[in-house]
Amino acid sequence: MNTITAPAIEYLQLAPLLIVFGAGILGVLVEAFAPRYLRRAMHIPLTLLSLAGAFALVIVQTIKGVPTKPSAMGAVAVDGPTLFIWGTILVLAFISLLLLNDEDHFVPAASAVPGSAEEERALIEGNVHTEVYPLALFAIGGMLLFPASNDLLIMFVALEVMSLPLYLLCGLARRRRLLSQESAMKYFLLGAFSSAFFLYGTALLYGYAGSVDLAKISTALSANVGQDALLFTGAALLGVGLLFKIGAAPFQAWKPDVYQGAPTPVTALMASGTLVAAFGALLRVFWVAIGELDWDWSPIMWGVAILTMVVGAILAITQTDIKRMLAYSSIAHAGFLLVGVVAIGDAKQNATALAAILFYLAVYGIASIGAFAIVTMVRDAGGEAWHLSRWAGLGKRSPKLAGLFAFFLLAFAGIPLTSGFFGKYAVFQAAVAGGAVQLVVVGVVASAVAAFFYVRVIVLMFFNDPAPDGPTVVLPSWGTASVVGFAALATVVLGVFPQPVLDLAQSAAGSLFVR
Amino acid sequence: MTFLVSPVANPGPTSPGPTLADFGHDPLWISIIKAVFLFVFLMVGVLMGVWTERKLISRMQHRYGPNRAGKFGLLQTVADGLKMGLKEDLMPRKVDKLLYFLAPVIIAVPAFLAFSVIPFGPVVSMFGVKTPLQLTDLPVAVLLILAMASIGVYGIVLAGWASRSPYAILGGLRSSAQVVSYEIAMGLSFVAVFLYAGTLSTSEIVAKQADGGSFALGSLNIPLPSWYAVLLIPSFLIYVLTMLGETNRVPFDLPEGEGELVGGFHTEYSSSLKFAMFMLAEYVNVFVVSGVATTLFLGGWRAPWPISLWDGANVGWWPMLWFFAKLVLLFCFFVWVRASLPRVRYDQLMHFGWKVLIPLNLAWILMVASFRALRVDNSPLVIVLMAIVVVGALGVYFRFDTVLQRRREQRAAQEAEEFDQLRDQPTAGGFPVPALDLPHYHGATTGLNRKEVPSA
Amino acid sequence: MGETVTFWVLAVASVAAALGLVFSRKAVYSALMLGVVMLSLAVLYAVQDAPFLAAVQIIVYTGAVMMLFLFVLMLVGVDSSDSLVETLRGQRFWAFLAGLGFAVLLALGFGNVVFAAPTGLAAVNQAGNVPSLAEAIFTRYVFAFEVTSALLITAALGAMVLAHRERAEAKATQKDLSRARFVAFGETGANPASLPGPGTYARHNAIDMPALLPDGSISQLSVNRHLARHTEELLEERSGELDASETPVAEITEGENSK
Repeated sequence: MNTITAPAIEYLQLAPLLIVFGAGILGVLVEAFAPRYLRRAMHIPLTLLSLAGAFALVIVQTIKGVPTKPSAMGAVAVDGPTLFIWGTILVLAFISLLLLNDEDHFVPAASAVPGSAEEERALIEGNVHTEVYPLALFAIGGMLLFPASNDLLIMFVALEVMSLPLYLLCGLARRRRLLSQESAMKYFLLGAFSSAFFLYGTALLYGYAGSVDLAKISTALSANVGQDALLFTGAALLGVGLLFKIGAAPFQAWKPDVYQGAPTPVTALMASGTLVAAFGALLRVFWVAIGELDWDWSPIMWGVAILTMVVGAILAITQTDIKRMLAYSSIAHAGFLLVGVVAIGDAKQNATALAAILFYLAVYGIASIGAFAIVTMVRDAGGEAWHLSRWAGLGKRSPKLAGLFAFFLLAFAGIPLTSGFFGKYAVFQAAVAGGAVQLVVVGVVASAVAAFFYVRVIVLMFFNDPAPDGPTVVLPSWGTASVVGFAALATVVLGVFPQPVLDLAQSAAGSLFVR
Repeated sequence: MTFLVSPVANPGPTSPGPTLADFGHDPLWISIIKAVFLFVFLMVGVLMGVWTERKLISRMQHRYGPNRAGKFGLLQTVADGLKMGLKEDLMPRKVDKLLYFLAPVIIAVPAFLAFSVIPFGPVVSMFGVKTPLQLTDLPVAVLLILAMASIGVYGIVLAGWASRSPYAILGGLRSSAQVVSYEIAMGLSFVAVFLYAGTLSTSEIVAKQADGGSFALGSLNIPLPSWYAVLLIPSFLIYVLTMLGETNRVPFDLPEGEGELVGGFHTEYSSSLKFAMFMLAEYVNVFVVSGVATTLFLGGWRAPWPISLWDGANVGWWPMLWFFAKLVLLFCFFVWVRASLPRVRYDQLMHFGWKVLIPLNLAWILMVASFRALRVDNSPLVIVLMAIVVVGALGVYFRFDTVLQRRREQRAAQEAEEFDQLRDQPTAGGFPVPALDLPHYHGATTGLNRKEVPSA
Repeated sequence: MGETVTFWVLAVASVAAALGLVFSRKAVYSALMLGVVMLSLAVLYAVQDAPFLAAVQIIVYTGAVMMLFLFVLMLVGVDSSDSLVETLRGQRFWAFLAGLGFAVLLALGFGNVVFAAPTGLAAVNQAGNVPSLAEAIFTRYVFAFEVTSALLITAALGAMVLAHRERAEAKATQKDLSRARFVAFGETGANPASLPGPGTYARHNAIDMPALLPDGSISQLSVNRHLARHTEELLEERSGELDASETPVAEITEGENSK
């Protein structure tokens, strides 16, 4: 009888992941066994404490020293960038969950036909889908694993673990049910399609390198000469799958629809957490696995970055819906971040670019959660007021809220004294150092175009007359209020005094990705 | 010269039997002989099986059963088969012709294929060639059987769909849902066997049941039983239940519930050869699941205890007899069940499969796996674990018992209250009933522990 | 040799089935074609010394996944042709063009592929196919294997969220139903029992032959009304050619009353 040596798992290094997944599973048990009236009361501390605990463990790991070897038999790479990304995602997830925690974002009975008597009845009875907490935890677990994956197989699994709960959560908005269901359907179909591309690419790269390990693919680049067909096709297909997840053009089509239809807290989670996770994974694949191949892929990445920035910025101008506008702005920001991805070079250059991207991701994520939190507070009779015309004159009716929103928009635009300025500055600076000057010029022009529509919203809010039957601004719950407060504070502090976080990002990026 | 003889190919009386390495060396003609034998065995088996079933069930119901055609009615099935062959083959006008024709074939062929991995005996000498009494074996032989079962379901579902008749399609869907559900529980009941045998090959599973080994409890060596039916009795019991469900036999013969569905998925198949194929497949499937039960749980072709004391019991051609005897006994069990039990309702069937068998099975596998892992480590934890399991099981049992008791009492109180109320006003709510305190109603309240089940 | 022959046979079969999947007009046929493709793949795996994968492919894909497909198709009845209105004009043309371009690109790419020397199945399967697979799953890929459980839990939870309907009140038991029937009987006089079967006390027990009540009159309830209409037509048609043994129902009643 042959025996198998038990695998070595570094539990402490993986502890943040395990805590989040474990809490998700506990949440499912709560769903199964706890009485209905207790569930929410049990989910909230479970979810928030697990995220806080995971964050604490990330800090412990950082203090104890960054591991230099992949963990879990080489499946997960807990390195400097991963720890920074984990920390970022956990903070973003924590504040998104405070937002998600608010009542009445989610449908009372998802299986009921929209607008049916059954739905009405569930609403009156006060049913809630408390399943959203474990689902969100699973999604966050996937987000943590995705950028930390050290081989393509686990990256694929992580991609699915991250996406599947999000597909579900998108379809659970309480209001505008059909739009929400449509968004879930679109996200699911397109997501499955992109996963197929990812898997196809993985298979081809496996055929090329004989392994799915990122490091082994990298070493195969110099060893296996003359099999470029498999390599290029595989890398291209893999790239399609990853670029879809960050919403880069020409794979951006899902983003506005999904961001619009999903419940706004879920949109906030996607706009921040998913983007960070997907960028981490993209960087790992393109810098670790096929980093030696940058001569071949960087022209394409140039094209994609330019297209993404231009499409995002220009199409955002034509939007009349605040959530769609924010979605296009997210596309544009993905483009700005891609500028940093192209700025690959020697180790020092890589560290600079990586640090810039990490910083940008963190500040953009926080600001976008803040912006979406404000969107949840501006309500009409039928739910959130999405149409831009409804926002006219908001600054005259509730100047504080409009002021905060304007501030987040300015951060998106990258105006000095906001965190967005330093993010953009760092990325563009790294790109210039990496020799991508033309790209930076396009980026600056796109930023200017983007600034136009941000400013247009500000003008609309402050210099137009309010409509007589305009939307009401609800009194925020403590959760929403603290989300907005935290996001605003972070945006200001990082806009005035960004050095600590920049330093942190630089020290995290200094060790680069482990191989 | 001794080194020319491989130790496996020439088993002594104590050898546990062939292993995977013994397969794949047969000359073609031996394989053909085995395949033809299997086919003939199954065909004759079906003929005799139908007769046995009818005879046996008749005796159980105090009647004679078929006794006209041939001695003891032995030729009855042959006559029925001939009749089916000679009848006009009706093809209803609206059916989907291709699938209507293919469905009986799809259901019958996998049933035969599954039998190819059932071991009939050890290595014997067949016309001078040493070969195991088994058509073939694979490292995943048991999975092959499951795979064949899952292909067979297509026959059922397609027969229902191709018939273009509501009864048939409902019967087909019901039946395939049932088979697919019970297949999961069936597959799970194999897991414990795999864990203990450490292999998925049928011949090796039989070999592992040659000797149960012993369990060292301190200085005491307790010999363990060798049959997995004893060692893993929960798995075996669950398997027996799923085997009834998997083959659509009473009490799970919903697909053919004549009272509800006319004839189930084969309603539109008139009693022609196509119908005969369904019959054939049903009986062959019964043989397959019986063969699997024999192989996985009842020691396969190995002789049962008193006979196994004889040295020659497990060599040569004798084991075929033991295998056959076990197969026949299992078949008789099917008939016995059919004669004794009524058909369950569909929702009860699904409830039983999904909410009872599968969770039970999972819990049992978890226990077996932890037991197995700890025993490998030779840890004293085994005793602790067993104690915990026993205490836990007792705790769960008493908990359920008290809950059920409380529920029963509550219901009895409620009914008594209703009776009181109705006694005051005999026509309450328009019930056209006589007064409820008539003399012959006395004691009616004692029968209140009937279980009230929601209707489907 | 054997492997090559199997490959070419299965290659033709599976490509033909895949084309059939796309072009067949009936959804059930498409699903079956997919089943054929999966089976061919399973056989190919088996031929390439991966028996475990082959068995699992059949059990999981052909046995479970395809069966669910078939269930949905048969229950929902997707045979009706879908609406083929294009919301985006000309998208099918462009989609076809893009798909074709992609296929050509892949074909050109793979046409020139050179593979590195494979490790070889013998080396990989040294400890046996199943144990080798187990070793790969439980050592190197154990984390991916475990994380997959999160995926499965999510899927189960999602199915519950999207499809499970909580029952607002307890389901009526047979007793409740019977009680309700009698209450209705007390209030409106609605028949609480099951309907009389056709043919009771009549001369035939055909499904369109109404039952006779104890007083000899026919019971309208005993025949489905669609069939009953049919019966009347039939009776009218045949009234001319009836002989004494096939007296219509109405006449029987009259005759017996007159006695």
